[in-house]
Amino acid sequence: MTRSAKKGPYVDEKLFRKVVLAKERNVNQPIRTWSRRCTIVPEFVGQKFEVHNGKQFVGLLVTEDMVGHKLGEFSPTRTFKGHGGSRK
Amino acid sequence: MPRVAGVDIPNDKQLRIALTYIYGVGPHTAIQVCKEAGIDPLVRAKNLTEDEISRVASVIDRNYQVEGQLRRIVNANIARLRDIRCYRGMRHRRGLPVRGQRTRTNARTRKGPRKTVAGKKGVKELHRG
Repeated sequence: MTRSAKKGPYVDEKLFRKVVLAKERNVNQPIRTWSRRCTIVPEFVGQKFEVHNGKQFVGLLVTEDMVGHKLGEFSPTRTFKGHGGSRK
Repeated sequence: MPRVAGVDIPNDKQLRIALTYIYGVGPHTAIQVCKEAGIDPLVRAKNLTEDEISRVASVIDRNYQVEGQLRRIVNANIARLRDIRCYRGMRHRRGLPVRGQRTRTNARTRKGPRKTVAGKKGVKELHRG
């Protein structure tokens, strides 16, 4: 179920302020965040993030194509290294 | 047999059904097309006049994206998801269901034929059943 258009995209406000600030001051340090549910808005393009996946922070450089997705989509929470194998 | 939208040659079914043989035209769009072209959707495709066929073709041409064009758009969308390495893109790459379906059982359309794993619980029952 997609979010109601009436509400507009969900953007973490604190995070948004941080991004705007970082842009103004031209700091190119990744922003660490837990806000996986935050939608990527055009203002985020070019900004580096580190998105928590429950264990670590996963690096992410936002590109134009990513607008409209959520930050969490780029920080996988599961690791799957394949089944069995190599027991000989 | 009439030709509409490139290679498609719908047969001697009603026009509203025949049009659904075009990739990108379903039952709904088919009826919309008939309406726009001013043709009875229940007429058999083989009974259409040249003029009616060209009207249908032009309506589809003007208002809908079908066949190769549509396929390209869909593939481009999937390629985009793959490139940005988001969750949905990963699922496409791995050939697993993309929209959160279960994979413990089912999901055979995406995963392909079963690959039996020896010693896995339930394997015996599966083969007996």
